[in-house]
Amino acid sequence: MNLERLGSPAEFRALQRQIISEHDRHIPRIVIPAGTCGQASGANDLIRVTKREMLARGLVGKVHLRVTGCHGYCELEPSVLVVPSGTFYPRVDMAGMARIVEAVARDEVLEELLYVDEETGRRIRRQADIPFFRYQTRNLLGHNERADPIRVLHYIREGGYAALTTVLERGDPERVIDSMKASRLRGRGGAGFPTGLKWEFLTRQAGARRFLVCNADEGDPGAYMDRSLLEGNPHSILEGMAIGAFATGADEGVIYVRAEYPLAIKHLLIAMRQARALGLLGEDILGTGFSFQVDLVKGAGAFVCGEETALVRSIESKVGEPRQRPPYPVERGIDGMPTVINNVETWANVPLVIERGSAAFAALGTPASAGTKIFSLVGQVLNTGLVEVPMGVSIARIVNDIGGGPVGKAPIKAVQTGGPSGGCIPARLFDLAVDYDTLKSAGSIMGSGGMIVMDADTCMVDVARYFMAFLKDESCGKCFTCRKGTQRMFELLDDIVSGRGTPGHLDLLEELAEVVRDTSMCGLGRSAPNPVLSTLRYFADEYRRHIKDHRCDAFVCHELVGAPCATACPVGTEAWRYVAHIQRGELAEAYTAIREANPFPSVCARVCHHPCEARCRAGQAGGTPVAIRALKRFITDRSDPASYVPHRAPRNDQPPVAVVGSGPAGLTAAHFLSLRGYGVTIIEKEAEPGGMLYSAIPPYRLPREVIRSEVQALLDDNITVRCGTELGQDVTIDSLLEEGFGAVFVAIGAHESLRLGLEGEDATGVIPSIEFLKAFNVEGRSMAKGRVGVIGGGNSAVDAARVALRQPDVDSVTILYRRTRDEMPAFADEVEAALEEGIRLEALVTPRTIRVERGQLVGLRCVRNRLGERDASGRRRPIPIEDAVLDLGLDTLIVAISEGSDTDCLAVVGANRLEVDERARTVRVDRETLRTNRPQVFAGGDVTTGPSTVIAAIAAGKRAAAMMDRYLRGEALAMPDLPPIPKDYVEPATWTGSLPVSRVSPRRVAASDRREGFHEVELSFSGEEAREEAARCLRCDLEFTASGSGAGALKDRAEAGVST
Amino acid sequence: MITMQLNGLEVHAEEGSTLLEVAQFYGFPLPTLCHMEGLSSYGACRLCVVELGGGGSSELVSACTYPAVEGLVVRTASERVIRARRMVLELLLASCPQSKTIQDLAAAHDVRQQRFRQEHDSCILCGLCVRMCAEQMTGRAIGFRGRGEHRTIGTPYDQQAEECKLCGGCIYVCPACTLRCTYTDPDRVICGGCANLTPPCLGKPQFHDMMCFMDPCVACELG
Repeated sequence: MNLERLGSPAEFRALQRQIISEHDRHIPRIVIPAGTCGQASGANDLIRVTKREMLARGLVGKVHLRVTGCHGYCELEPSVLVVPSGTFYPRVDMAGMARIVEAVARDEVLEELLYVDEETGRRIRRQADIPFFRYQTRNLLGHNERADPIRVLHYIREGGYAALTTVLERGDPERVIDSMKASRLRGRGGAGFPTGLKWEFLTRQAGARRFLVCNADEGDPGAYMDRSLLEGNPHSILEGMAIGAFATGADEGVIYVRAEYPLAIKHLLIAMRQARALGLLGEDILGTGFSFQVDLVKGAGAFVCGEETALVRSIESKVGEPRQRPPYPVERGIDGMPTVINNVETWANVPLVIERGSAAFAALGTPASAGTKIFSLVGQVLNTGLVEVPMGVSIARIVNDIGGGPVGKAPIKAVQTGGPSGGCIPARLFDLAVDYDTLKSAGSIMGSGGMIVMDADTCMVDVARYFMAFLKDESCGKCFTCRKGTQRMFELLDDIVSGRGTPGHLDLLEELAEVVRDTSMCGLGRSAPNPVLSTLRYFADEYRRHIKDHRCDAFVCHELVGAPCATACPVGTEAWRYVAHIQRGELAEAYTAIREANPFPSVCARVCHHPCEARCRAGQAGGTPVAIRALKRFITDRSDPASYVPHRAPRNDQPPVAVVGSGPAGLTAAHFLSLRGYGVTIIEKEAEPGGMLYSAIPPYRLPREVIRSEVQALLDDNITVRCGTELGQDVTIDSLLEEGFGAVFVAIGAHESLRLGLEGEDATGVIPSIEFLKAFNVEGRSMAKGRVGVIGGGNSAVDAARVALRQPDVDSVTILYRRTRDEMPAFADEVEAALEEGIRLEALVTPRTIRVERGQLVGLRCVRNRLGERDASGRRRPIPIEDAVLDLGLDTLIVAISEGSDTDCLAVVGANRLEVDERARTVRVDRETLRTNRPQVFAGGDVTTGPSTVIAAIAAGKRAAAMMDRYLRGEALAMPDLPPIPKDYVEPATWTGSLPVSRVSPRRVAASDRREGFHEVELSFSGEEAREEAARCLRCDLEFTASGSGAGALKDRAEAGVST
Repeated sequence: MITMQLNGLEVHAEEGSTLLEVAQFYGFPLPTLCHMEGLSSYGACRLCVVELGGGGSSELVSACTYPAVEGLVVRTASERVIRARRMVLELLLASCPQSKTIQDLAAAHDVRQQRFRQEHDSCILCGLCVRMCAEQMTGRAIGFRGRGEHRTIGTPYDQQAEECKLCGGCIYVCPACTLRCTYTDPDRVICGGCANLTPPCLGKPQFHDMMCFMDPCVACELG
């Protein structure tokens, strides 16, 4: 391109008019974003295909191609935009590209390649209608798609250099500074100093030379908005600097850009050459006599060189170390001369201020922070990319509406803003406005605009440790507190994540963090403690859990996770151990491994919700977890519960213990107390022990004989069972204590269905779910008939629905739930099995009126819900649409919204009352000791938690037994939790033959055969299947246990210096 | 002449003087490790921090690098200053427990133990030696390298620098007092000084031409 030097502003205007008039906006253009991100995901291939297709089809001149910088939606790159229609194609491959070229030539749209809206499932054609773009104000980024960054004429056509020309025509530097001040533009590098004011300071300085610097040393992990501006619109930065130079009288400019941005450097150098050729930069700009030279300096990648005093030294070719301010660079900067340093985004905003006027600029954003800000939104969010919004929008708008919410099932927990020295803001504060001052008061900083979204599977202690590891390496090391402080904070955090933390660690960490913030020399050191201080402020519980309980609930911290299957299990069953034994064909050892931890292995092999599988490492990163529960079933089906004889201490001389309720919690407590040598008496209301196992879980999931044989194996000489005895009727807690029991464990379960609170709930045909299940499970009575509706989304709702389906007089069963299927608390495979059997699911409905005729239920009126705003858990709240009515004719309505306990029997009045949560209908206990407000009375299981899982009840029983033992011996009620590190070494079996790639699922009875009766649905593995599935185990335990042989031994020997 | 407030007193200071100089002139003690008269101010040790301003907007700055400015309000021993100074000393003690200078300073501030993982560094990177070499001896034989926790002081390429005059000034000013005695590797030697009670260099001929600059020199006294 031959660029002729422009000799005056008038010549520039003429050129601009000419380019605009020659440009035909109606010719369709294929725009391909090819910034660094686009090129990495394949944009160059698309460009090549487009050129080839255009030549092959003779489209040159009919369709144009424009290669631009990044448009911001990095998640969906390589993408293609077609203008002027605005059609957007995400994640285009080469074959798709060829078709797009053809379609553009014919003015058609390829429906099947368009963007699909996650929520509605509908395809969206126009880029501007896509949620990611809809909520943005793309003043800066929007320019990227309109111009090819290596063509200055594109920039001029889109209005570029007009602001500079205007300023030169007016010839009034003060006016420029006044409008910069009036625009209230603040520095985009993070600190937010008013730009106009900084420029004004420069004009007041004496000095032979004055410098302007563009700080493009963008080093925050996960932040790249400056890069996209440098790559996509380099002229805007040059123009901004030239305007700044004219306003402040500076004659030299320096762009300090990190060497890791080669494309940005290339585009900048091209832009500088073109601007010089046109006479828009250099000597005698546009013939006005004003000169401004710009140089480019490449930084070698030290993070601290983004700090302005270090940056100045780096430009001077010295070691990039900060120095104390004052004097500020505006007084003494490069070579001791006055220097103004602004961030890339600040400079890019300058032409906008001049072009649109300061009033229009200031109208956007908040009174204290005007204009827009670009954020790089990354992490566990659906739409990652660059997002430009006016200052002052809420974090929720950015994360949930633009970002599209969490990427996985785990809810969003926090967002980290401002790079390594920023802070973490918890989800409950997502209504906060994003501007300099609000973020600062929340303990974070705006920084340059990085925004890292974290979900519940992120450990905040580990996050703080990560950033501290970064900072201890990137601190320049000059000042002692920053160098040593970051290193010591890292050490303390490292201790905590590896299980060596003490409560003293937290105090010391906070004390140190505050001193580092106070005493460090530069901005890096002063903000370095932010990750620690903000996580300590908002996530102190996570720290305490790491230190006190030695658990990392996000399953991140290696030494606190051990083998994840065992750690995820509430009773600590070492799943890896029995899986390893299955692999070796050692069934007896496998049964022992299960039974040691869990007195109800056969029950859990059928009904456990297997939290172990959710955390199995084989299931991470796209794989399928080992079928741990099915393997447990394989073992328990082949083992007699009576075959395992645990070690029992001789009968001690402590007073006996009464256990009220013989469900999993009660029986577990009785069993473990008996093993410790206590005499135990179980009080049971029903005729047979078993509790909720019997009454709530239907036999097709859990056959009665399984419960019976497992319960029988637990009852031994130390345990007496008094069946048919009801608490509150036959005995009371006080009468038991008077009888001579030293402690009472209340584990009566949650047998009362909570009510809907609608009129007509007492009509015939409306049945609480527990009453319905109990009638069938215990008495064998079928209560459902005709058309059955079940309200609720939990396990008892699904159980009730599946039981109803199997009853003789039932025609159809419908489950009604207020949220979506994905959000049902019931186990996913139960829901799937229910749907297989022909049960209908009406999701997103709210019951409104129960229709009753002559005391008999005839139907239910519901309204449909739509999904509204996300609540604190990240789930979208259901909002009823009042005119979308759903009328159902029903003969039976089962209410299964939740359950509580019959707390009336606990002597809730008088001096000896137990504290009860009236709303949830549960007994209040100390979560750690399971003790109620009465010292001799403990409680656990559903009666304290509301309806929960079998394994949680067993865990409560185990804990209660340990606590009551301590109580009766007069010891402190505390149970130190050790880091769950595997200890026993099981030699891995050698496996010949090919390994199965994905999970082997146990077979099930065909859905068509299930309706006939109550036979168990899920079948057991065969020996071959079990060994194959067990072989898929990654043996996470070996890392900790293998010291005698294998890899661990090799390592040990290497460390000991023994040659092999 | 500048007028400012120092610990509640109205004080006057020369234009261009630092807060440290003003405080010392008026008799307020400020501990320092990286500051020495005759060498440029560096601001590395953060011991001389003072509190500027009052109320909600106060900040801590190092007195040795901060210029005296008209109207400043300075406190040299506020609660915040003392807390920070004690933590700095605790950190120093955790890294360099064997230094007499640091031990004395810690004792003077009632810092009697440290709660971090004990290290035995021989250097606190105060940079006195580097400045001594460059500014007083026009040597530039030693300098900083690396950054963050990998920052160290050394000679170019770990070889004895041509500029080194073996003057021993670097050792003379070192507050950590653990001398870089590299007697086992004469090529890397900066100086022959040594504080060991039984100096291992005694009687070894290859060290005869070296001077020892300890005051008093342990080796010489023994010899």
